[in-house]
Amino acid sequence: MTERRDRAGVPARRVGEEVVGGRQTGDHAAALSVKASDAGSLRFTVLPPKELKELSARLGWSLNEPELEAIRAEFKKVGREPTRGEIETIAQTWSEHCKHKTFNGPVRYSDGKKSRLFKSLFNETIVKATKELGKPWCLSVFKDNAGIVQFGRSGRWALAVKVETHNHPCAVEPYGGAETGIGGVIRDVLGAGLGAKPVLNTDTFCLARPDYAGALPGGALHPLRTLRGVIAGVRDYGNRMGIPTAGGGLWFDDDYRLNPLVFCGTAGLMPSWAVRKDVKPGDLIVAVGGPTGRDGLHGATFSSATLEGEADRQAVQIGHPLNEKRVLDALMAARDRRLYRGVTDCGAGGFSSAVGELAQDCGAKVALEKAPLKCSDLAPWEIWLSEAQERMVLAVPPKNYPELEKLFLAEGTGCSVLGEFTNTGRLVVSHKGAPVADLDMEFLHDGMPRVERRAVWGLVPKPKSRPCGARKGPADRGRLGAILIRMLGHLNVCSREWLIRQYDHEVQSGTVIKPLQGMRHDGPGDACVIWPVAATGEWADQAGFALGHGLNPSYGRLDPYWMALCCADEALRNLLCVGADITKASFLDNFCWASPEVPEQLGGLVRAALGCHDAAKGYGVPFISGKDSLYNQSRDEKGRDLAIPGTLLITAVAPVNDITHSLTMDFKGPGNSLFLVGVTKDETGGSLLSQMEGCSGEVPKPDPKAAARAFKAVSGTISKKLILSAHDLSEGGLGVAVAEMAFSGEFGASLELDQVLTSPAMLADETILFSESPSRVLLEVSPKDDLAFMRAMKGVPVRRIGSTTANPLIKVSGQDGSVVLETLLVELKTAWQHTLPEAMR
Amino acid sequence: MMPSKPALRGRKPKVLVLRAPGTNCDVETALAFKQVGGDAELVSIADFKAARVRLMEFSIVAIPGGFSYGDDVAAGKILANQVKLYMKEIRNFVRLGRPVIGICNGFQALVKAGLLPFSAAGEQTASFTANDSGRFEARWTHLRLNTQSMCLWTQGLPEMIELPVAHGEGKLVLKSPRHLEELKKNKSIALQYVSDDGKLLGYPHNPNGSVFNIAGLTNPEGNCLGLMPHPERFTVRHHHPNWTRQTFMKEGIGLEMFRNAIKYCQS
Amino acid sequence: MSVIAAGTTYLVEVRLRPEFTDAAGAAALAQIQAAGFSAARQVRVSTVYEICGPLNQAHVQQAAKELLSDGVTHEFKVLNAPPVLDGMNHWRVEVWLKSTVTDSVGESVRRAIAELGLPEPEAVRCGSVYRILGRTTKNVLERTVRRTLANPIVHTFTVTEAYD
Repeated sequence: MTERRDRAGVPARRVGEEVVGGRQTGDHAAALSVKASDAGSLRFTVLPPKELKELSARLGWSLNEPELEAIRAEFKKVGREPTRGEIETIAQTWSEHCKHKTFNGPVRYSDGKKSRLFKSLFNETIVKATKELGKPWCLSVFKDNAGIVQFGRSGRWALAVKVETHNHPCAVEPYGGAETGIGGVIRDVLGAGLGAKPVLNTDTFCLARPDYAGALPGGALHPLRTLRGVIAGVRDYGNRMGIPTAGGGLWFDDDYRLNPLVFCGTAGLMPSWAVRKDVKPGDLIVAVGGPTGRDGLHGATFSSATLEGEADRQAVQIGHPLNEKRVLDALMAARDRRLYRGVTDCGAGGFSSAVGELAQDCGAKVALEKAPLKCSDLAPWEIWLSEAQERMVLAVPPKNYPELEKLFLAEGTGCSVLGEFTNTGRLVVSHKGAPVADLDMEFLHDGMPRVERRAVWGLVPKPKSRPCGARKGPADRGRLGAILIRMLGHLNVCSREWLIRQYDHEVQSGTVIKPLQGMRHDGPGDACVIWPVAATGEWADQAGFALGHGLNPSYGRLDPYWMALCCADEALRNLLCVGADITKASFLDNFCWASPEVPEQLGGLVRAALGCHDAAKGYGVPFISGKDSLYNQSRDEKGRDLAIPGTLLITAVAPVNDITHSLTMDFKGPGNSLFLVGVTKDETGGSLLSQMEGCSGEVPKPDPKAAARAFKAVSGTISKKLILSAHDLSEGGLGVAVAEMAFSGEFGASLELDQVLTSPAMLADETILFSESPSRVLLEVSPKDDLAFMRAMKGVPVRRIGSTTANPLIKVSGQDGSVVLETLLVELKTAWQHTLPEAMR
Repeated sequence: MMPSKPALRGRKPKVLVLRAPGTNCDVETALAFKQVGGDAELVSIADFKAARVRLMEFSIVAIPGGFSYGDDVAAGKILANQVKLYMKEIRNFVRLGRPVIGICNGFQALVKAGLLPFSAAGEQTASFTANDSGRFEARWTHLRLNTQSMCLWTQGLPEMIELPVAHGEGKLVLKSPRHLEELKKNKSIALQYVSDDGKLLGYPHNPNGSVFNIAGLTNPEGNCLGLMPHPERFTVRHHHPNWTRQTFMKEGIGLEMFRNAIKYCQS
Repeated sequence: MSVIAAGTTYLVEVRLRPEFTDAAGAAALAQIQAAGFSAARQVRVSTVYEICGPLNQAHVQQAAKELLSDGVTHEFKVLNAPPVLDGMNHWRVEVWLKSTVTDSVGESVRRAIAELGLPEPEAVRCGSVYRILGRTTKNVLERTVRRTLANPIVHTFTVTEAYD
């Protein structure tokens, strides 16, 4: 099986809601009336190329010319016309969504100086790093529905993690899109190995600002409506599934206004014996879950279609969490009784992809009339390709079937036998005896012609704005405080409490480090720590895991390579700050980009992939799973292409060996030492300061090897219980980090900027306070432990830069000794808290 | 007057943790009972429908949280109907003095099945509507226990405790003001949402707008408790949001509630 | 509605009694006000079920009483056509999922009606009714609804001038 890398691309023109709302379904019915045999009567193998292309477009196959020719050649060889079902199956299997042609395909890359040919971009960057790292605790990477790593020290458990996007459905129907997005990623984890029990959901949204007041093309939803919808979808689906939503993020940038991004992630626990599937010929093909309807037909192929309307309308569904919960409960019971040998979810392509994947190494015979249907007028190929939600396919030894069926029926969900796995190497599908498809598995999975794409990267021209921190003369005492207050109220920094409270983040009683932390349970945690006791049942085992993210498209506007390193760096520091063992961390990548057919766009993507490779190697952290979503661009109200900023979400997950040693970010008391780990540089490019002040600077550039050494030292001091609180420095740098720690813990802080380790030695106070140099963390240490701490940090750049105070204010002395910032915590916290509730009103 | 003891005593009291499609706090509730010496078993409502289990064989019944039947129609409504249909003996179970607890969705089901507030006629006199905030609310709340209450689940607990709530339809409403007076008189109000200094204040201290800040109800005899907060989510110290703060020393107070019921059955 | 099934079709509307706070209505009011219908003064939300199948009036009454409504907080009625009275000031907006979109609530209700011992309906769909108070025109309200309460990608909706 190949890791299915998602591409929820968007047609060039967005469908207008008004247009769709007013349109009758007649054209849709006409298109569907082409029967299974009709493709044959259309004489596929003898049609002139132009007509073939038109046919492909009309029926929504999204096959390009070389692909159509490859199919034609295959069927000429076979000596008959293909059926509609066969072409539909091939079109879906070869879609960008399933095959990830760009990421897996050849790319010729040039950065102006050097050029390089990648035979497969993905294999030569991300996969290569993972292979070279060769971590023994990576149990299954890049081949199943989710990445699987070891969990705990008993050897009995494994952790499956998956993050994917569901962008286009969320753009047209945010509520249903978010629901089906979560539903899908949960099923990915249920369908990894022999199934993992989900114990954590995460959600990250990239949208335009909710108060966006500019123009929008007809049909595009306002970002506020999109945000409301996706939050409600996550809430209603995630809460009903009984899976805590305890991680994620929000990023606002108006260039997402036509293409919002919605990342959904799930982590689940499985016994280590369940890591591998072992489908055998003779096993029954069993479909479980909801019935099949005309839902989401062509969801996999519509991304590259220039057609609109039909595909869009059908691709969007409202989720049915109760059905999925039933499948979850029955499946876990069946797994623990070892009743099946293989499982996968019905995602894009429905049965065709699920059966195709499970049967990849053997073969399958399917009789579609046995599938339970929502409506009786489905054509056989529609049953085969339908993307109805909440369905999974199992490989079940015949003797186990009665017991399995009983379990599923007892939960009130469907269970039916569609056929059996064979050893013929062919995929044979029929409906009431009539052939629907008879395909060679090898052709289906490896027969796709590869198209080489061109990628170029040119340096971004130097910005004309003044450099950050260049303001001369003595600092105006009120100015830095005013900047800090505005930063805390910035949409990309402010409190997320308004939405986190709508997610049940404590169900399963395992969220021991919560997304909201501190004295009043409202401070911004770096990452959550999950103690999966409800999945393992092992009360005495204190093993847990932490999950965090790194995302910053602003850096990517300057250079996606450094964005990738910064994201990896931030994701790791988030884990570090809650006390995770980052020497056993893993990464997941999620690329969301505009059209790869634009060489400059693809060039940025290649830069980011190279960054991922170097991050993995530098930090010593393997990637275990990932996805890409391309074509995230749409025509704006004036007909111009609006591309999203190249976006990379890096998710990091790492074990927490003993959850009772984990940490939060809130100050714990007055009079404690504050240590800043890492070097502060003049790195304000893409920073919050540069956005707010309209200035420019260098993009932050991590040194992964040095950073990994520092993180390891910090990790050691945490396990020695020398650290009271820890917080990473990200957007807004030192200023924002210290403010968040202070108002969450309700203790003040006094900092001396001349103590901060900087490079070069002379930097403006403003730069020291707000630079976003990576790899830095701020630590609170009891003064009695100062010496022990410094000893443990030997060889690592670290300085004591101040202390916590009982006085509820932040006081910062500049390098000349004068007070450059003095602000009450209540003022800082109010600014930080009021933004989102006001925006959502 | 003390209620009569369960007929089945023993070292490991049998606990029935009721499941229905959409129940999702069943595993951790069962784990909590096991942790304090209960023999907890997950039993599906379908098992009652098929007459595969007998209620009276159990010493304790717990209806855990979740979204039974997706909370379609209204929270706990379909489950309440199923309980009325297939677990008719539950009224008798309560009357015999055996411990029953309904948590969150389980509380909603107990109320809608007419088991709480308990009346001889089994008439439903309370219900739930959407939280006043209009949103699902997951937050830790301060609760004040009614020290006058006979509730066996909360005996010996400190007067002020903390537990998390997580619900969208948790606003308890009563059929008429008369019923509130009755609840007060019968000492049936087991828990109330309060501020950290013990005052009956509004949102967010009262997370849903419940009448008289009611967070939990008991029958006058004190063996049947329904509450919106989740005691199974505070069974170890590190469940508390402030456990990493040096000043925080409390153990998992929720576990004590389960221990009370088990000890009651063992005595 | 586009549910095609034999048997009789009933509409049951379940409303929160006026003495209870309608949080969903308040949220809907804020949204439609922000979307341009600033004259809106009040919104009350109720749920409407379309039940189709071999049931008689008494069956539906029983299902409405025992399943669809709450004895304490709700009132219900089995509807025919809603009365059309006052114009311009009282509005009734019905929002339904399209027939091609899975209606999970409807499915639960269909099963639960059978559990009451009544004939199992062939299909149940669940929709929302927004009773809106405020002076506007039908066109403006339709546009507002499209921006807030209904998404034509998955919903159908009707706006009628009604007072009931």
